[in-house]
Amino acid sequence: MASARPIYLDHHATTPVDPRVLEQMLPYFNQIFGNASSRQHAFGWRADEAVERARQQVAQLIGARAKEIVFTSGATEANSLAIRGAVAARRSLGAHVVTVTTEHKAVLDVCASLEREGCTVTRVPVEGDGRVDLDRFAAALRPDTVLASVMIANNEIGVVQPVADLARACHARGVWLHTDAVQAAGHVPVDVNALDVDLASFSAHKMYGPKGVGALYVRRTPKVELVPQLVGGGQERGLRAGTLNVPGIVGLGAAAAIGRAEMAAEAGRVAGLRDRLLEALRRGLGDVTVNGSQTFRLPHNLHVAFEGVDGEALMTSLADDVAVSSGSACASGSREPSHVMTALGRTAADSWGAVRFGLGRSTTAEDIDTAAARVCEHVSRLRAMSPVALGTRA
Amino acid sequence: MTATAYSEAVRERCREPRRAGAWPEDDRGVGTGSAGSLDAGAWTRLQVHVAADGRIDDTRFKVFGCSAAIACASFVADRLVGALPGEVPALAAADVAAALDLPGDKHAMAALATEAARGAAEDWERKTAARG
Repeated sequence: MASARPIYLDHHATTPVDPRVLEQMLPYFNQIFGNASSRQHAFGWRADEAVERARQQVAQLIGARAKEIVFTSGATEANSLAIRGAVAARRSLGAHVVTVTTEHKAVLDVCASLEREGCTVTRVPVEGDGRVDLDRFAAALRPDTVLASVMIANNEIGVVQPVADLARACHARGVWLHTDAVQAAGHVPVDVNALDVDLASFSAHKMYGPKGVGALYVRRTPKVELVPQLVGGGQERGLRAGTLNVPGIVGLGAAAAIGRAEMAAEAGRVAGLRDRLLEALRRGLGDVTVNGSQTFRLPHNLHVAFEGVDGEALMTSLADDVAVSSGSACASGSREPSHVMTALGRTAADSWGAVRFGLGRSTTAEDIDTAAARVCEHVSRLRAMSPVALGTRA
Repeated sequence: MTATAYSEAVRERCREPRRAGAWPEDDRGVGTGSAGSLDAGAWTRLQVHVAADGRIDDTRFKVFGCSAAIACASFVADRLVGALPGEVPALAAADVAAALDLPGDKHAMAALATEAARGAAEDWERKTAARG
């Protein structure tokens, strides 16, 4: 059967809702539509039961207890609640936060906002492979450090951080560790106890659930206290006010359950396809630079740089055939290279040609072969058009 | 990870750009201009060939940059054919941007193309004057 066009290889941006997830969500829009906080009647009871079932499913995905799961509107809110909430709760102990230069903007921008409010933030650089050096990270922790935030897997280059090691360094100094687990959860094992993190953020739409819903894991033992960032209703044990998005939460729970059941087989399958893609690109184009560690990497991620080609132009050229993502956008003639590529020590020129491939559940070997052929064709065409090959660098 | 929503005119020129290529810079009748840089993320190089009647009869471009940069270079390369070198400075970046329905934050790509075109015309005039 011919692949659908364009072939979707941007699963780090978002994933389609799994039909099995959608099926479970649908009754909660207009049949079991009660407010989960309505404790006086069956409509509310049934909605509440669904929410608690989903809470259990999310907890099981990450080895947590159901009471440690707080539902949010997504990972951005979860990150904000974790970081701002923890720093506010620990203010008497200090006001220093440690994070990493390659974090998502949903963490970096929260840290920047804390700086404007009087906190200090240390952004630990990564090594050339995108990973944090443990000694360098530990050296950034200070007596007044109250929180560190380090993602499990990077959203651009897919590099997996040594979070358990970082947690040990944090806890030796009484520092809480938050992790943005968005790109990892549902794709690779995430066990909050094995990682020993205190807070972890999740998003449904990155693991075949719906958009607009996420969760924050908040450790109960030893207890992590947060100052709520949304008040007005007392939902989620006072940590996140607002009527619960019952259909979304049901979808998150269903996605977590499917992810847990299918993760092992799926991770192996997509890793094989990812390697097939890289081999095809190298066969077609010669040397292709992979950005970030190839060992500590999400199985469904490939991030490469095509020298002499602009990633955005390549995306546009490919638009009818393959949907991928480039690492940078230009505006007003003054471009900002991807902060992740810069953190790896790459030049701006390296960054322009960066392209991210994100494979997913629907990706087939035929998709990969077609995508590789189209990419090779357009990279060759764009390179032939590029003045870089003339060698007269402007 | 932002992608720009481009007009069909930009997408078509990006997919199938006309007049892509290069001539040796020292070819008789050829003028070469360049604007932007690789480090800045957009670099347009444009060449004009001026015929015996004094009009531009062919053009070539090379470009490194986003889809808008490619489309602008191709569009300008097309527009210059038939013009006198002295008429090249009259080609305004705003007109190029309007013709391609460029998003507002991409107008600088039209300016790069017109700057490279002016440079090419000036280069031809300089070389012609030097030859007497």
